[in-house]
Amino acid sequence: MNQIIVDGLSYALPMLIIAIGGIYSERSGVTNLALEGLLGFGAFAGGLFVSFTAGIFLADSPVPFYLSFLFAAIGGGLFSLLHALLCIKLKANQVISGVVVNIAAVALTGFLAVQLNKAVFGGASNKFMLSTAPRYTVPGLSDIPVLGGLFTNVYPFELIIVVLAIVFWFILYRTRFGLHLRACGDNPQAVDAAGINVARVRLVAVIISGVLSGVGGMSFAYSISANVSPAIFFGAGYLAIAAMIFGNWKIVPTLVACLIFGLARSAAYQLILVLEMDASVTDLAMIVPYVLVLILLIFFSKRNQAPKALGQIYDKSQR
Amino acid sequence: MPESIVEMRHITKRFPGIVANDDINLSIHKGEIFALLGENGAGKSTLMSMLFGMYEPDEGELIVRGKKVNITSPAEAVALEIGMVHQHFKLVSNYTVTENIIMGREPLRRLLGILPYIDRKGAELKVQALCDRYGFDLNPRAVIEDLGVSQQQRVEILKMLYREAEILIFDEPTAMLTPQETARLLDIIRKLRDDGKTVILITHKLEEIKQVADRCAVLNRGRLIDVFDVASTSTRLMAAKMVGREIDFEVDKTAPVFGEVILDVSQLTVLDAQKVAMVKDVSFTVHAGEVFAVAGVAGNGQVELADTLAGLLAAKEGSISFKGENITRASVRKRTVEGLAYIPEDRHGVGLILDFPVSDNLASKAYFRPPFAKGPFLQQFAFRQYADTLIERYDIRCSKGALTPVRSMSGGNQQKLIVAREIDADGDLVIFVQPTRGLDIGATMGIRQRIIAERDKGKAVLLISLELDEVLSCADTIGVLYDGRMTKIAPANELSRNEVGEYMMGVQR
Repeated sequence: MNQIIVDGLSYALPMLIIAIGGIYSERSGVTNLALEGLLGFGAFAGGLFVSFTAGIFLADSPVPFYLSFLFAAIGGGLFSLLHALLCIKLKANQVISGVVVNIAAVALTGFLAVQLNKAVFGGASNKFMLSTAPRYTVPGLSDIPVLGGLFTNVYPFELIIVVLAIVFWFILYRTRFGLHLRACGDNPQAVDAAGINVARVRLVAVIISGVLSGVGGMSFAYSISANVSPAIFFGAGYLAIAAMIFGNWKIVPTLVACLIFGLARSAAYQLILVLEMDASVTDLAMIVPYVLVLILLIFFSKRNQAPKALGQIYDKSQR
Repeated sequence: MPESIVEMRHITKRFPGIVANDDINLSIHKGEIFALLGENGAGKSTLMSMLFGMYEPDEGELIVRGKKVNITSPAEAVALEIGMVHQHFKLVSNYTVTENIIMGREPLRRLLGILPYIDRKGAELKVQALCDRYGFDLNPRAVIEDLGVSQQQRVEILKMLYREAEILIFDEPTAMLTPQETARLLDIIRKLRDDGKTVILITHKLEEIKQVADRCAVLNRGRLIDVFDVASTSTRLMAAKMVGREIDFEVDKTAPVFGEVILDVSQLTVLDAQKVAMVKDVSFTVHAGEVFAVAGVAGNGQVELADTLAGLLAAKEGSISFKGENITRASVRKRTVEGLAYIPEDRHGVGLILDFPVSDNLASKAYFRPPFAKGPFLQQFAFRQYADTLIERYDIRCSKGALTPVRSMSGGNQQKLIVAREIDADGDLVIFVQPTRGLDIGATMGIRQRIIAERDKGKAVLLISLELDEVLSCADTIGVLYDGRMTKIAPANELSRNEVGEYMMGVQR
């Protein structure tokens, strides 16, 4: 039981921060299918930093671990400029732009990783090795039955994500910028008439989605594989989009959706272990949580309302 | 000499293919209600949009409070204390009244003395205070999508007042309002003037100008025709100036010559989407050469009746026969081909494809047959040629001719397009639903004359209108719909205006 919560959280929280990035972009009216590419490119940037500075820091120094998140955020943010350029400046179709960004991210990170590894280390690997991430258990609190799982074997990034999620919730719902952002997704004409620059708000929103996706991607890199390789593109970005839609483009319901996703996944893992299932059927068992999610989505997303101006290119002269 | 607050000197604005404003010189006085009168597409909205910074003039200068200004964005206009209520409201539908009003000028507080956040409570109090001052019955916490049109309009007015605008522009503010709501809005506008504000009222409704405006400028096809004091000018003269000729308010009509029965509706019952009967057991006939006008208050089954005749809704019971043939279950295409023309109330939803050009819209009921199609292939040349002919014949004003996207045209010209398409098909029955809603007096009279002309050509005409004047001036036979039932059918000359009114209200039956 404890393990289900521990694993579930370390999966759900990175997904949450990516989904919050998606919420920022889509509530501002920019469709963002690019989350997958953004998280991958962010993780690539973080991994690049760790790998190339390996000689500078002491072997057990926590500094590269924390700095890698900063670089992942910057990397994701920079790569999101591509999506912003296509969608906002060049007024391209936002769905296609998202797909292009995803494909470009896979190709570009793979290519760059091999080239850089070859040039610097001599080996043509497409991976950047990371050190294992530290994990902490809060004494006392972790002994509480069931809820103790929340305080057991916690990655530091989980705390970072919780803090970021609260900050970005506050920005979205309580500040001027958040008010403008959500209005851009409903009626950009109204925002324009209020003297606010729609394109600028959307640009910032897309960059935020890149930054948060980068943080999420780096978290997955540490928790799942301890390296950055093309395997980082395992679909977390798409699941985050599903969580966002499931959560009706609102942060708190999206948190619930992410928790359901994460816990269902870790529960399936534990089930496979307990039942000592044959390797040939474990893959099948692993799709159970996704099927569950799909069914939930069908039943619960009927009343959901996407932002009205989502995917619409804003043109001042339109009546 | 009253103090001038806005002056326009030699303002000219061109759009591709059209001069929207041609060398306009105007002076608006501080504290007056200044009306801008003109037909649909005369350039009124364009002129005021320039004052609000949505367009920039190609030539000429704007002077506000004695200073020459360059207004390049609405934000700059707001800084000059200019506000505008647009014809299509600019409101965020899932925000509250308060959020919409404060957007762009939010009052802030600081969390822990540093983090700025929006002071909702303070904003709501401010909005409430404004509501109280102007007597608006609005809940600052209500969400926009739950509000009616007139309440949304008040939110727009409050937006301007919250920004301390002194020059208030209203673009066709009464177009979507009922008569009662219009009266209340005009009261508000008077109150704003008494409060020292300058109001610019863009409209094509003469009665409104007569009721509230101090002075009035008339635009016609982009040119300024005249500026005059409203009190000393007759409505008739204003109308003549607006259209550029004397207007006949009466529709000339000779005695009807009835031919054979074209449309025979028998015991028709229609349900709406919620399975509620909207049309109940309705029977009537329309002859060739007859205008059968259906009077009634909105929502008494008119739209459902028309949609059923056109084939958009299915009849629950009863039958419709057209030229002797039962078409109760016939497809829309079959009805069209047989010669049933339909000018629907919902022009944007049913009548037009807004993003398609004029030529495609004009051919949208005939594109499948020659000369528009040869086998599976469309003949673009035929589309263009046909459109050019109709644009000329029906005086449809569109800046890029046959290729003008319909969305960019004024409402009056969109309606002319639909009328042209339907009448030119030369069928035997034309159904007009609210044909003059939202149109100026010139266009309205044009369409009413068209209705009579069709009758005189021997067509059967079914006119469904909410405007009693329209019914009385066009009808040969009047039928009154009340609560889905045809409560009275009589020759027009046997019913007085009052009698029709009483049937419409359900007083007599």
